[in-house]
Amino acid sequence: MADGPLRGVRILDLTHVWAGPLATRFLADLGAETVKIESPMGRGPRDYPVNEVAYGWIGGDPGDEPWNRNAIFVKQQRNKQSVAIDLKTDAGRKTFLGLVREADVVIENFHSVTMPKLGLSYDVLSTENPSIIYVAMPGYGLDGPYSRRVAFGPAVEAMSGLSDVMGYGPDEPRNTAMALMDPVAAVSAAAGVVTALRQRRKTGKGAFIEMSLHDAAVSFCGPWLVDRQLGNPLERLANGHPEMAPHGVYPSAGEDQWIAIACRDDGEWRALCSVVPGLDPDANLVTRRRDCSEIDALISRWTACRDKQTAAEALQVVGIPAGPVNTTPDMLNDPQSRERGFFVPIEAGPTPMPGNPVKMNGISSADWTPCPNLGADNAAVLKGWLDYSDDRVAELERMGVIVDRPPR
Amino acid sequence: MDRVLEIGGFAAGYCGRMFVQAGCEVVRVAAASLAPSEHSSEALDVYLHAGKRRIQTDDLGIIGELADRADVVVAETPTAQGLRDLGFDDWRAPVKAAITPFGRTGSKKDWCAAPNTLLAMGGYTYLMGDSDRAPLTLPGHYAEFQSGGFAYMAANASRLAGEENVIDIGMFESVMALSQFTTVMWTCAGEIRSRHGNDFVYVSPSNLYRCADGWVYINITLHFWDALATAVDRPELVVDPRFETNAARMANREALHEILAEAFAPMSTAEVLARATEHRFPCGELKTFDEVLHDPHLAERDFWQQVDSASGRLSSPRIGWRMDGVSPRPAVLSVQEQQDG
Repeated sequence: MADGPLRGVRILDLTHVWAGPLATRFLADLGAETVKIESPMGRGPRDYPVNEVAYGWIGGDPGDEPWNRNAIFVKQQRNKQSVAIDLKTDAGRKTFLGLVREADVVIENFHSVTMPKLGLSYDVLSTENPSIIYVAMPGYGLDGPYSRRVAFGPAVEAMSGLSDVMGYGPDEPRNTAMALMDPVAAVSAAAGVVTALRQRRKTGKGAFIEMSLHDAAVSFCGPWLVDRQLGNPLERLANGHPEMAPHGVYPSAGEDQWIAIACRDDGEWRALCSVVPGLDPDANLVTRRRDCSEIDALISRWTACRDKQTAAEALQVVGIPAGPVNTTPDMLNDPQSRERGFFVPIEAGPTPMPGNPVKMNGISSADWTPCPNLGADNAAVLKGWLDYSDDRVAELERMGVIVDRPPR
Repeated sequence: MDRVLEIGGFAAGYCGRMFVQAGCEVVRVAAASLAPSEHSSEALDVYLHAGKRRIQTDDLGIIGELADRADVVVAETPTAQGLRDLGFDDWRAPVKAAITPFGRTGSKKDWCAAPNTLLAMGGYTYLMGDSDRAPLTLPGHYAEFQSGGFAYMAANASRLAGEENVIDIGMFESVMALSQFTTVMWTCAGEIRSRHGNDFVYVSPSNLYRCADGWVYINITLHFWDALATAVDRPELVVDPRFETNAARMANREALHEILAEAFAPMSTAEVLARATEHRFPCGELKTFDEVLHDPHLAERDFWQQVDSASGRLSSPRIGWRMDGVSPRPAVLSVQEQQDG
C-alpha cells in the first residue's frame, strides 16, 4: 500500500470501468487505504472469454487466471486491496455494512438504482456510519429527465457540446472517441472526495457527493458555454486556433508521424521564421490567420523531411512550443518521462504503467503495490477491520459469500 | 478555510476555481507581462476567476509577501525557470503547488509548451481524428484544467494531513496519466493504439450516426449488442455470423455501420433516445453549446451558477460534484476587475 498524505483514510471502492477506478487510483496513490469491493463475477466468469480481450494481458498471456491479468483492468487498480463479496446475500450485505462502519469513504459508479436495489442506499449506509462520505457517480445524475439513460463516456461527450468545436470543419463533427469525459469526471471525483474529507474534519459530518459524468463533461466545456452567451462565434477549426497562428499538426518523416507546433505571439512567430524558410517575419496575427493555408504548407515542407523529435528539438532551441505527436513507445522512451521515472514497472512482465502526475514529499512509487488478485485480501481486511475470526472467514468462504476466484 | 494565492495561467486558474467553489478565499495574481495567448478572454474570466480577488503585478516583493501569508500557493509558469525567477523556493506558505508544462526537473523542464503540444506529447493527439488524415488536437485547455485538478487534490490532501509540502505537477505527465488502455495495448499486446474518426477503437458499433434531425452517438460494448439490434428492429443481426461477437463486428464494422446508418437515418434523435432508454444501451444526442445552455436536464438539476460580469449576469457551469444535494458554492459570484499591485 502506498504512503502519502491520505494515509489513514479508508475507502471502499465499488467502482468499475474507467472513471471510478481512475478516481480511486489517484486517491490510493496519495496513500488512502483503498479496498476494492468486487462482485464475485466482477472481473468476468471463470470460463473467461479470452478471445474478446483486445488490449492485452499482463505478462503477455491470460495464464491460469485470466480474470486477474486483463491489462486494461489491472492498469487502474494499483495500491488497492481486493475483497470479493456477494452483496446480493444477506451475509454479504451484513459484512459490507460492517466495513462501512469502519470506512471514511464509499464510492461507486453504478446506475442510480443499483445500490438502493441492493439495500445499500446512502440512507442505509449513513445510518450505519453517520460520518461516511458517499460518492455516487451515476452517468446523468440521480434526478432530472435523463437520469434513466445508460451513460458511457463517448455518448455523454456528444451531449456536452464539445463537438461544436471538435472536428475537421463545419460539416465534420468529431467525437474524441476515447471516452474523454471519464478522466474529466475521475479527477473531479477525487477532488470532491478530498473536499468532503476536509469539510468533515471541520464539521464532523459525513456527506453525500453526487458526481455525474454528464455534469463533469458540461462543466469542462464551461468557457465555450460562456462564450456563446457573450455572442462570440465558435467554429470547428480542425487543428487551428482562434488566438494562435500558426497552430497545427504537421507531417514529419516516416509513416503517420507528426509534430504539433504553436506560435503564441509575434516573438515566437519571428523565431519560427528564423528556422523555417519562406515565412514573412513581419506578418501579424491577423495576416497569419488569413494566410494560414500557405503558412501551414511551408511549415509542412520543412517538417516533412525531418524526424519529429529532431524537428521539435530544433524549434524548442529558439523558444517555439513544439512537440512530437507521441505514441506509447515514444512516451516510454521520452528522456523527460525516463528521467522523472514517470512510468512505473509495477505489474508483472514487468509492465510499465503511467505513474501519478503529483510529485511531492512522502510519495514514492517505491512502496506501490500491484493490482491485487480477485479476493486476495478477503481475510486480511475482514480480520483487520472487523476482527473476524479464521472460522468466520472460512464460513463465509464456504457459503460462497466471499470468493477468490469467479464461481463456476 | 484556507487562504489561497493563485499565480499564473489556466491551470492555476482552474485550481483556484475549485478552491473558490469549496469556500476558500482566493487571491489571483496575473503577471503584467503575459503573452496575448496567456491572457484570459472574458469567457475564461467568468468561468475561471469568478469569486476571486485579482491583482496584476510583476512586483516580486508583493508576490512574495502574499505567498508568505497564504496557506496554499498554486503557481503556474511557462517553464521551471519561471518558478525560480518568481522566487518560488523562498516562499514560506505551508503548501506550495507548482504547475509547469514538464515539471521542475528533467532535461525538458524548460521546454515551452502550448495546449496542442502537450496533448501531442502526452499521447492524446495520435488517437483523435481520421485514420487517413492528420490527427486532431483537442480544443480548449484539457491539460491545464486536469493539472489544476491534480494540484487541488494534492494541496487539499496535504492540508488534511497537516503537512507542509511542495507539489510538483508537470502537465505532460498529467496527460500521460490519463490514458485508458493506450499504454497497455503496446506493452501487453504489442499494438500501437490508432485513431478511427468517430469510431471507438476496440468495440463496434460505437460511432456517430446521422438521424432525421441531428446526430446520435452510440457506444455498444459487449453487453449492449442484443439490445441495440432489438431497438433498431433488426433482431436478425444478433445471429448474423458477421456480427455475432465483438471481434466479428470489428472485422465487419463498415458493413455494420452501413446497416445502422440506414436504420437511424429516418428516425428523429428523440425516437432513438427513447428506444435507447427503453432497451438500455448508451446513446447521446449531439448537442450544440446553445442547446446545452437550454438543456432541460441541466436546468432541472440546478446546474448553472450565476456570475455577474462586465457583460451582465451570465450562466457558468458549476463544478462537477454536488454535495448533499447542493453545489458547494455561493449562489451568485462576481468577476472582479484586476487591480494593479
